[in-house]
Amino acid sequence: MIGYILRRIGTSIVILIGVSIFIFGLLHAIYPSPAIDVLGSRANTVLIQAWNKQNGFDEPWLEQYLRYVGNLLRGNLGWSYKLNQSVASLFGEVWQRSAWLSGAALVLSVVIAVPLGVYQAVRRNTVGDYVATSLAFIVYAMPVFFLGLILINVFALDLHWFGFEASQSNSLLSIIVDVHDMTLPIVTLTLLTIASYSRYMRSSAMDVLAQDYIKVARAKGLPERLVLLRHLLRNACLPMVTLIGLSIPYLLAGNLITETLFNYRGLGLLFYTALGNVDYNVLLAYTLIGAVLTIIGNLIADIALTVADPRIRLA
Amino acid sequence: MRKRIVGSLALVAVGVTALAACSSSSSSSSSSSTTPTSSATPSSSSTSSGTAAALPGQYGSVPNEATGPETAGTITVAAPPNAAPTWILPIVTGAANSVFTVPEFDYQMYRPLYWLLNGVEPKETPAMSLANDPVWSNGDKTVTFTLKSNYKWSNGQPVTSQDVLFWWYLMKAAIKESPANWAYYTPGLGVPDQVKSITAPNSSTVVLNLTAAVNPVWFQEDSLGAIQPMPSQSWDIDATGGKPITDWATNPADAKKIYDYLSGQAKSLSTYATNPLWQIVDGPYKLSSFTTSTGAFTMVPNTNYGGPHATTESSWQSVPFTSDAAEFNAVKSGSIDIGYVPLTDLPQATSLTSSYNEFGYSDFGWSYVAYNFKDTTSDFNNIIDKLYIRQALAHLEDEAGYIHAFFYGAGGQGFGPVPAIPQSPYSPSNALTDPYPFSTSDAATILKDNGWNVVPNGTDTCAKPGSGAGECGAGIAAGTKLEWNVIYNTSPAIIGEQVQDWASQARSVGITMNLSSSNFNYMIENYNDPSSPKTIDKWAMEDFGGFTDSTYPTTFGVFNSTGSSNLGGYADPEADKLITASISSSNPDAVTAEAEYLTEQQPGLFQPNPDSAFASGILVWKKDVSGPPTSFQSLTQYGWNPEFWFLTS
Repeated sequence: MIGYILRRIGTSIVILIGVSIFIFGLLHAIYPSPAIDVLGSRANTVLIQAWNKQNGFDEPWLEQYLRYVGNLLRGNLGWSYKLNQSVASLFGEVWQRSAWLSGAALVLSVVIAVPLGVYQAVRRNTVGDYVATSLAFIVYAMPVFFLGLILINVFALDLHWFGFEASQSNSLLSIIVDVHDMTLPIVTLTLLTIASYSRYMRSSAMDVLAQDYIKVARAKGLPERLVLLRHLLRNACLPMVTLIGLSIPYLLAGNLITETLFNYRGLGLLFYTALGNVDYNVLLAYTLIGAVLTIIGNLIADIALTVADPRIRLA
Repeated sequence: MRKRIVGSLALVAVGVTALAACSSSSSSSSSSSTTPTSSATPSSSSTSSGTAAALPGQYGSVPNEATGPETAGTITVAAPPNAAPTWILPIVTGAANSVFTVPEFDYQMYRPLYWLLNGVEPKETPAMSLANDPVWSNGDKTVTFTLKSNYKWSNGQPVTSQDVLFWWYLMKAAIKESPANWAYYTPGLGVPDQVKSITAPNSSTVVLNLTAAVNPVWFQEDSLGAIQPMPSQSWDIDATGGKPITDWATNPADAKKIYDYLSGQAKSLSTYATNPLWQIVDGPYKLSSFTTSTGAFTMVPNTNYGGPHATTESSWQSVPFTSDAAEFNAVKSGSIDIGYVPLTDLPQATSLTSSYNEFGYSDFGWSYVAYNFKDTTSDFNNIIDKLYIRQALAHLEDEAGYIHAFFYGAGGQGFGPVPAIPQSPYSPSNALTDPYPFSTSDAATILKDNGWNVVPNGTDTCAKPGSGAGECGAGIAAGTKLEWNVIYNTSPAIIGEQVQDWASQARSVGITMNLSSSNFNYMIENYNDPSSPKTIDKWAMEDFGGFTDSTYPTTFGVFNSTGSSNLGGYADPEADKLITASISSSNPDAVTAEAEYLTEQQPGLFQPNPDSAFASGILVWKKDVSGPPTSFQSLTQYGWNPEFWFLTS
């Protein structure tokens, strides 16, 4: 196991270097210098040249890249020239907010989608299955922006049960306990995820139900509850483990639409703003962190699979 | 003051978006009441109906200032997406320059020499200027101005000529380090390059000797108007707790040290509200809180402010939003005092009239489709340089229809670089009435009269090549087609809607416009001939939005042949002459002549402007928030005067 993890870390470093070169090159190919985006299209050439010099964009591409990597290795993610803050501080201000929103929605989704999917598989082609399937399709097909707007209009503006925007506090603890304001954004994200996960779970559970060991378990007289808990659930959850592993990057990547709609400043919005400003350092840091989380998520999923299914061995 | 906005935010703002509004509510906390006295505010006329005199083309109305008791409290004001201030030192960098950083934030604490806005009117409000109007002499090569005695720093010290010089020498140190350190710097033009010397003969007088004669109006509004005195007796240090450095005027190295220290402090956003430096202000407000993660901030009254203000001043709080939709939800819930209804939600605005006042007016600026006069693809350069072609294209634009259909009635027409509304002291007569009104038949007639075979819904071709009367014109061969590409910005949607309709009308007279969409950043990076000469033949027309005008609306930089923002290489000797006169002749009407000529010549397709405040939309404010009408009207022009607002309950 340790050898496997070390090999994966080695591979990951190569991948990260590749990602950094690709993103850095891509940004420079599209926007050789963001000067005009930062200074505005009425900026004169003297200002543009001065700004390029001030920020190192007058140097060859490779020199810029090596300087960037050098800073990165020293833990310096760079400076956002549009937001006038270090990239590290920008991320530090909001990552917990994004993590809480996405994390809470992910946990709720799993808690609801897994039993729902099993129920639908066991009771497939019944009224309950049809209703759950229909609702899942409706929510899945609905743009998140639209779903959020409906929830806000009904539950915040009409019924006044919840806030029309997410918590504006800077304290994570305050955000966590602010059920009034955090319910709607979390529910918006959760509904969408449930719609997706429950379908995976239903399909996976149906496959497992057709396996011989389920028939054997039933034939030897094991109660249905134990059949489902001991033999079906664990095996049916294997695809979910991979899915959840791949969802880990979203914990920090943020959810742009939900954050935007619910006035919740998180990493998704930070990335979107950086795109508009062609804010190189924020974009690079965001992409690299996303890559790191994707790699970690995959690694965790692989390890979790071996725990869930002893037949799987890492090599 | 309005020279401010030449950054991308402003560009987006004209073509794009929103408004602000206010109201009271749960967010307003009353604290004290007094009897009002008349405020020395910008002028505005009122009617017996209880509302301010209607302005041409306005949406909604503005109630007269309430006459009952004034109540102080905290007024919440919506801030649209991407509006968080990112700079505090009143030598604003190019990267930080925006309508939100400067008028909403910076000017509340550090006033410019001249306040160049009066309600929606782009003209000075003398009572709110720190200095008296300048006096010119020596053939417009020497300018002298005096500071008013009523303006003081919050520590009680007067604003003096030394404070102007302090700003001056630190600004020079800033641009010596990098020209990008001061957003308004244009090499060789205006402040400081056209100034030979600056002196302060006494504590209230400043004299500038210029290298050459300039247009006095232009210099006052675009150069002197950008000066923001800084407290020389408090900020003359190069370290926290350091000893005063007094030779900044004679020792550039020391000026640099001070600038480096102050600009370094301005990079610490988290200390904006706590750093003692930024508590010394000459504006009506001090910063009391600032949240770096959101850009939210609160301003409290500066009790030593010497300018006009409400008898009972309120604090105000900027409440940032991540989207127009989130902001509109806040307005619908009644949780914000001053906000905006985004243009796309305007049909819902009537549901707010019981609790909010509503007012809409377009910003003083211009939106346009830029023409590429250097695009040789299919001889487009030889086509677009013909005035009759540009006139025909203008006839195909249905501005009134766009305002009705796409802006929900909230917008103002624009026929040239000075819009029809707001009216400016420099508006030429042809800027007020469409010189080329919408008429497809007029467009077709113009083409036929100039040698084109017009094929409605087909493709027009040149039937009579040559340079004579009734012929297509120089460089256009027989059979040349009227067909080219148009690239438009997808955000906001109204840009695409207008361009698509225009292309549709063009199609009806046989002109084919091949449309493609892009985004703002890509367009200004790649479809800008002075910056990207390699892409000169990639575009014939583009619509990215437009520009917010300075109070003095010269198009220097945009339509002069060497302008750095002359996107499509428009070159006309007469235009060059007029534009040059706008900045260098003593004729106060020079800029009017410039605007009149460009309106006639149509160097681009000028478009209507949607109503705006912070973006496209209309302003709304709660009915228990009052003040002079101009203090609300000015929000549609990126002007902020919260010092005049008060609560009525």
